[in-house]
Amino acid sequence: MRPAPPGAGDDAGPTSLRPGGRVRAAAGGGILLALPGAAFACALPPSVILTLPTDLYIAGAAITVGVTALMGAAAGRLPRLEARLLIERRILLPRDLTSYASFLVFLGLCLAGLLGVRDPMHNLMTLIFWTGVWVGLPLASLLLGNLWRPLNPWHAPVRIARALLGRTRAAGLSRLGHWPAVAGLFGFAWFMIVSLAPDDPAVLATAALGYWTAIFLAAVLEGEEWVEQGEFLTVFFGLVARVAPFWLETGGGRARLMAGWPGTQVLAMAPLAPSGIAFVTLALAVLSFDGLVGTFWWMALVGENPLEFTGRSAVVLDNTLGLAAAWAATAAAILGALAVGRRLAGRRGGFATGPVMLSFLAIAAGYHAAHYLVTLLTAGQYTLAALNDPLLRGDALLGLPAVYVSLGFLADRGAMGAIFLSQFAAILAAHLLAVLLALHLARRGGAGGGVPGVAHLPLTALMVGYTVMGLWLLSTARVS
Amino acid sequence: MTLSTPFQPTRRSVLGGLAAGGALALSPARFASAQSAAPIRLGFQLHRTGIGAAYGRWYERTTQAALKVLNEAGGINGRPVEVIFEDDGTDPRRGAEVVEKLATQAGCDLIFGALFSHVVVGSAPRAGELKIPYLVCSEGFHVASGTLNRWTLQPGITDVRAQVSSMAPWVTQNLGRKVTMLFPDYAFGHDHRDYFSAALKAQGGEILELVPIPPTETSFTRYFPRIPAATEVLYHVMVGPAVLSFVKELGEFYAGGGRPQIFGFIDSLEAVDTASPGLEFLEGTHFWEGHCRMRQADASEHEDFYRAAVGVDANGASVADARDVSTYAHMFSCWETLFVIRDAMVAAGYQGPADRQRLVEAVEAMTTMPLSREHVQGDKVFNGRTHQVFGHQYISRVEGGKLVRVHATAIEDSLYPDAVDYTAMAF
Repeated sequence: MRPAPPGAGDDAGPTSLRPGGRVRAAAGGGILLALPGAAFACALPPSVILTLPTDLYIAGAAITVGVTALMGAAAGRLPRLEARLLIERRILLPRDLTSYASFLVFLGLCLAGLLGVRDPMHNLMTLIFWTGVWVGLPLASLLLGNLWRPLNPWHAPVRIARALLGRTRAAGLSRLGHWPAVAGLFGFAWFMIVSLAPDDPAVLATAALGYWTAIFLAAVLEGEEWVEQGEFLTVFFGLVARVAPFWLETGGGRARLMAGWPGTQVLAMAPLAPSGIAFVTLALAVLSFDGLVGTFWWMALVGENPLEFTGRSAVVLDNTLGLAAAWAATAAAILGALAVGRRLAGRRGGFATGPVMLSFLAIAAGYHAAHYLVTLLTAGQYTLAALNDPLLRGDALLGLPAVYVSLGFLADRGAMGAIFLSQFAAILAAHLLAVLLALHLARRGGAGGGVPGVAHLPLTALMVGYTVMGLWLLSTARVS
Repeated sequence: MTLSTPFQPTRRSVLGGLAAGGALALSPARFASAQSAAPIRLGFQLHRTGIGAAYGRWYERTTQAALKVLNEAGGINGRPVEVIFEDDGTDPRRGAEVVEKLATQAGCDLIFGALFSHVVVGSAPRAGELKIPYLVCSEGFHVASGTLNRWTLQPGITDVRAQVSSMAPWVTQNLGRKVTMLFPDYAFGHDHRDYFSAALKAQGGEILELVPIPPTETSFTRYFPRIPAATEVLYHVMVGPAVLSFVKELGEFYAGGGRPQIFGFIDSLEAVDTASPGLEFLEGTHFWEGHCRMRQADASEHEDFYRAAVGVDANGASVADARDVSTYAHMFSCWETLFVIRDAMVAAGYQGPADRQRLVEAVEAMTTMPLSREHVQGDKVFNGRTHQVFGHQYISRVEGGKLVRVHATAIEDSLYPDAVDYTAMAF
């Protein structure tokens, strides 16, 4: 914990020439710099969300999730989730081709990052990665299935490299399960949430190239299929896209477009191994902590004044520890709830961690959609503008007129009300789906007629708590 | 020292910049020959991300508009001008890195644009070490207080001490003498508390109560009973996400009547439409504005030119989105600073980094800046010794949801004794 907010208690008189308040300057690692009292502090725009009755929404969602879980546990039958085939056809675009094209685009973006304009909101590397790959593509995948699969920039280059090298053997990396992806996700989360300049085009391009190269070399040694289990983006998309109501299945040169209730694919998955469980708990923690780190609550915890937040450089250690603690807390809460549920179920079983953990994929997917909705609406505009005029020459490649980016909706009560309602709907739907999936998966694990209702209580409490936290993160005062 | 107005080059600059100046005079809209037409590169330290991002967006837009005007008028000394925007994350450590990067890697002639005080304080020493002119747009008293260095100047916006102090005479003469202050309990609020209290007392006014509010507070109802009933003027400077809640709860507190006069700083509602639902309580209250957001009936031609160039309508909102209200009270500083740079470079006959010291001396030599296309906020006086500009401040009243100017202070109202003479410091 740090001392009171900087500048607090300063009493420099108006005519005093001595420096007034003191700030803990980040440069130089905690050196106290003298700053004349004058602080520019009208940084944060007023928040419309804070004036909405969000408490009532949170209470309503919590009750809905809780009651649904209890009713579901008591019910004899659950809604069946089945897939059906919509269309079947020949594969038109081979994955090798799309992957290779994606790789070339990736290289182009890295060049733009290294050599293009320095303003992150005009550089396509920053915009395409943070808005497209990390926000837009996952959101689209929640509806249309795993869109990352054809765009994976490793698949084709690794196949080509292995063919050229004549390498067919594996090096044994597969024995590590998803652990390399867990490490990759933690590193990525640290880069995104904690590091000083994840938006800097050159920094991002350098990091992306370094990461791409590391995965490429590993996959050349092990085989292109290893990417599916060892690369964090591939694993992340592969998991959260299982929630989608539409998806593509490929095999034998044919593609089958399938449809089913959200989560149908989750029930068809094999139980998660320990490394998969670690990955899902970390993914949940990353999303939660990314929301938490900008709240007034967290700022107070780390001793920062949210109205004059020093900047990322002042909280590197706090946020690193916070990220790790968020993972530990998430894993402990979920595994603990499942363990207590197992104990309550006694000999009748159920609540095997591997299967039931899959239900949390719905929460990860819903929170991702809700948490990044505003990013999509704001940075998305910059992305469109940059695609329209990538070289800042006044081009209109997308046929869009040269318009200013408009963020007026952020101060509009109607628009922000609609956005919060959308986020509320995403969070509530995700948790209701998670409850339904947990009930299904628990029954599957139970011996004979499933698990007793009382055994569902810990997990139900956790789901309710998760609902409350997710909506609170979206509605509380924050600096970003 | 040779004094000059920005538009009257010194003898030295005329000699130094003869060739380029001649080309400019003959063909003002054209750039000089290829030999000397390499662009002048100006680094802009942009709060693109971090807590300053809402300001950064408009600072960039204003600067781009000014740059276009500048280049269409012939650039500087016959050379086109480029602005390299570099994001500092509104973070002092990155700020220092950005200064270094712009100076050494991007080869910028100077750096300008920083707004947030802690970033300026964290970056200015590096600019001093690198001996590169660092022109800030931060409102901070840190420049004029003498804690920075010879290379750091603030010629485009007045400082908070001048702003706050100059409000007191009008407030006491028109709103009342018994004042209660509500302010966030940290340096920003303390500046208002201290500077305004002193100025108020000098006018024969009286502070009835000081009500500091913790920065993390998001509900304010429990603080309002501390406002004495005898209060004639309520002075508030609440800022941050909870400002709308503050206004709403203050309105509920005075729902039964008895509301005193209310005076605030537009910082609370910068980039927010004062006609928004929920802000009705502000009707009839007064605000300080650094630059009148709403187009006033007597707006100058320069004011209209500026609005059109930046793409801002008569309500201070983006022409592309009437809900997108600009940071109008502050962003003129980027515009004016860019033209100060031009005038100083012309005066110094600036050719390249070897002339950086002369450039600083040329800014120091500036005195008056007339209301013009270059100084759209109003005429100003620059104090070369303290590196700080002084200008008019505006007081507006909310009428029908719009901010209508009721008073413009004289420049003299905001002057205070020099705290430093930077011109006596070594480069």
